[in-house]
Amino acid sequence: MSFDLNFIGILIGAIMASSVPLILAASGELIAERSGVLNLGVEGMMIIGAISGFALMVVTDNLFFAVLGSMLSGLILSLIFGLLTQSLLTNHVATGLALTIFGIGMSAMIGKNFVGIPGKEFPLLFLNLKESIPFLGPIFFGHSIILYFAFVLPFLTNYVLKKTKTGLIIRAVGDSPTSASNQGINVTLVRYSCILYGGAMCGLAGAYLSLIYTPQWIENMTGGRGWIALALVVFATWSPIKVLIGALIFGGITILQLHMQAVGLRIPVQLLSALPYIMTIIVLVVISRDSRKIKLNTPTSLGQIFYKEK
Amino acid sequence: MNTKLKVSEISKIYPGCIANDKVSLEFGSGKIYALLGENGAGKSTLVKILSGVVKPDEGEVFLNDESIKLNSPLDAKKNNIGMVFQHFNLFETLSVFENLSIDSDKKDKELRVLVNDILKKYNFKIDLDIPVLNLSAGQKQKVEIIRCLIRNPKVLIMDEPTSVLTEQETDDLFISLKQFSKDGILIIYITHKLKEVLSLCDEVAVMRKGKVVSVSNTIDEKIESLANKMVGENLNTIKKKINNFKNSEEILKISNLNFKSDDPYETNLNNLNLSLKKGECLGIAGISGNGQNELFQILSGEIIIEGTSIMFRNKEIGKLNPRERREYLMAFSPEDRISQAAVPELKIYENVALNNFKSSNFFEKGLVNEKKIKEHSKKILSNFSVNTDNVELKSQFLSGGNLQKLIIGRELITSPELLVCFNPTWGLDVGAINYIHETLIQINEQGKSSILISTDNDELLKLSDRICVIYKGKLSKIMNADTVTAEKLGILMGGGSID
Repeated sequence: MSFDLNFIGILIGAIMASSVPLILAASGELIAERSGVLNLGVEGMMIIGAISGFALMVVTDNLFFAVLGSMLSGLILSLIFGLLTQSLLTNHVATGLALTIFGIGMSAMIGKNFVGIPGKEFPLLFLNLKESIPFLGPIFFGHSIILYFAFVLPFLTNYVLKKTKTGLIIRAVGDSPTSASNQGINVTLVRYSCILYGGAMCGLAGAYLSLIYTPQWIENMTGGRGWIALALVVFATWSPIKVLIGALIFGGITILQLHMQAVGLRIPVQLLSALPYIMTIIVLVVISRDSRKIKLNTPTSLGQIFYKEK
Repeated sequence: MNTKLKVSEISKIYPGCIANDKVSLEFGSGKIYALLGENGAGKSTLVKILSGVVKPDEGEVFLNDESIKLNSPLDAKKNNIGMVFQHFNLFETLSVFENLSIDSDKKDKELRVLVNDILKKYNFKIDLDIPVLNLSAGQKQKVEIIRCLIRNPKVLIMDEPTSVLTEQETDDLFISLKQFSKDGILIIYITHKLKEVLSLCDEVAVMRKGKVVSVSNTIDEKIESLANKMVGENLNTIKKKINNFKNSEEILKISNLNFKSDDPYETNLNNLNLSLKKGECLGIAGISGNGQNELFQILSGEIIIEGTSIMFRNKEIGKLNPRERREYLMAFSPEDRISQAAVPELKIYENVALNNFKSSNFFEKGLVNEKKIKEHSKKILSNFSVNTDNVELKSQFLSGGNLQKLIIGRELITSPELLVCFNPTWGLDVGAINYIHETLIQINEQGKSSILISTDNDELLKLSDRICVIYKGKLSKIMNADTVTAEKLGILMGGGSID
C-alpha cells in the first residue's frame, strides 16, 4: 500500500515538473497581455531560451550563467518585438508570428553543434527529504529551484496585479491606453517593460526544458508548448491562478496518457496524445464561464496599436 | 486665493486645417467661463493644449502671470489644471477607487478618507468598489470630477459635459460647478449648447474656425445673438406642424417584444409595444445605454429574436435580415456613422453599393456595374447637397455632416416607407443639423414614416409627432408631442414617472 502511495507521489511530482515551462511562459505572456500586448512569439522566445541556456552551459560549464543567459536571450528577442510593435507600430499578430518562425530557425542553426552533447546535472533541493517521507516527499521535495519559483509565480503575479500600484498601472494600460496616457502614464514604457518581462519568463521556460526537464538539445524541443501557454492565458481568462490550474491539468493528462500508452490500452495513440489539449480547454472553459468576470479580466485594448497624439 | 489663467497667441495647425489661429484669452477665478463654438471651431484643440495632451505650434500659457510649459498631462496636473474630457478617460474594468488611486501619490487609506470627504461635501453618491462599467454616464462624470478635486485644482476645465447627461443630472452638475466656483476654482466650460451658457456662465468667448470672434458678459447676450456669432450667419428656425394620425393606416406594429442579452454591456428589453402610422414620426428619447442600441438593431434585423412579431405593411418581417427588410422598403441610419453605416476606407460609390437591393441593378451576373453605381451615387451627392461631387473619394475624408447626408441620402433615394434613424445629428454642426432636420420633416410630409431614436431632446421635440422614453429597456407611454415638454422627458429619462 505504502509503495502505491509513494508511486502516486512520484507521479504527481512528475506532473508538476512537466507543467513548469507552461506556467513560466504563460505567466510572462499574461503580464504582457494584461498591458494590451499580444505577443505570439512565445514559442520562438522559449526555444531561443532553451538553446542559449544549453549552449552557455556547455561553453561556460556554469548553470547559473546558463539560466541567466537564457532569460537574457528571451528578453532580447522580446525587445525586437517591442521595438517593432511599440516604436514602429507594426501589427502585433504578424510580428509575433515572425518572431516564432525566426526563433525556431535561429535555434536550429545555433543548435547544430550541440546535438548529442550530454547535459549537466542540475542541483535538486531537499533530496534526502524526498526519499525519507513517503507520498508527500516526492511531491514537495527533490525539485529544482526553478520549479519552486514557477509554483510561487502565479500567486505572486496575482498579488502584483490585484494589490499593487504596478499591477494597477499595467491593468489600466491594458484597459485603455489612451486614458492612461492622458493620465500621464507612459504607456510605451509600461508596455515595453511587460514585453521584456514576458520575454525573460519565456526564456526561463526554455532553459527549464533544455537544462532540467530533458537535459540535452533536440531541435524543436519546445514542441508547441509556447502555443499551449498562449492558449492557456486566453482560456484561463487572464487569471494567473487559472493558468496554474490549466498548466497542471495539461501536464497531468500528458503524463497520464503516456502511462496509459505504456500499459497498452486499446485506444488509438493519436487520440490519447490529443487528450491533454482537449481536456485542458474543456476544463478551463467550464471554470471560466462567468461572462461578467471575463469582461472584467479581458484587457480591452489587447493587440491594439497605441500611438500618442502630438 | 486668486487664480489668473491667460493663453496668449496660441496657434495649432494640422495638415489641411488651422485648429487654433492666434487665440488669446484671459480667465480669473471666481467666475465660470464658457467657451462656445461649433464642432471644429477649435475649442477641443485649445482645451487639449491646456491639459497638455497636445502641444501648440506657437504661443504661451500663463498661470498667475508665470509662463508655464504644458508638455504632457503630468505638467497640467503639476500646475493644478484639472480636466474632464467629453469622452471619459476612465478604465472601465477597474473599480472606481482604483481609477482614482492610479494617479494619486497618496496611500490608499488616506485617499479613501479624502474621497469620502469629497463625496460628503458635494453630496455625490457613488459606490467606490464597483467596476466603472456599471456606472451611469452621470456617475462616471462625477468620478472624473472627483479625480480632479483630489488634486485641489486651481483650474477645472469641462469639455461638453452635458452631452451624456439627463436634465436632472445636468441640474446637479450645474449646482456642483457653482459650488466649485464659490470655493475659488476657475471653471472653463466648453459647449455648443447655448442655453447652458446663459444659465451657468458669467462670461462667454465664442470661437469660429479656430479664431476667437467675441468675448462678452453673458448678461448682455441672448440665445439668438450667441447663435449668430457662433455660426456667423442668420439661421432660420424650423418647427414641424404636428398632425393627427388617428385615421391613418398603421404601417408598423410590434407587440410584446422581449430581448435578453448575455452580454453585460448590453441592455435587456422588456415587453416593448409600439405602433406607427403612415406619415408619422415617432420619437424615442432616453439617455444612451438604456436599450436604444438593442432596439435599433432589432428594428434593422441585426438582432433577430425568435417568436417576436414585427408587422410592417401587413407583412411579418420579424425573421428577415437587414437586406431583406430593405427590400420591403425599410431604411436605416445607425448611430455610428464610421463603423456601422459606412466603411471609411471604401470610396463613396462603393459605400453606396453596399446597401444594394434587388431593384437597383448594381450587380449583374455577379459582376459590379460600376457605371450604374456611380451615376446613382452622383445623384445622391447632388440631391442631398453633399459637399463634393467626386464619387471616387474615400468616405473617411468626408466630414461628419457630409457623411451623414450621404448615408441618409443613400437610404432615402429608394423612397422607403419607413426610415429608422439613431442619433442622426450626433456631433454635427448647426448647419448640417438643420439640413438633416429639414430632410426628416420632408419625408413625413411625403407620407413616409420615421422612427427617431435620439438622445437630443430638442431634436425630438422639434421633429416628432409622438414621443416616448426608453428607460432601462422599458418604453414609457407614448405621448403626443404637443403635450410633452423637455422637463417631462427629463423626468422620464431619469426613471421618474408623470401622470
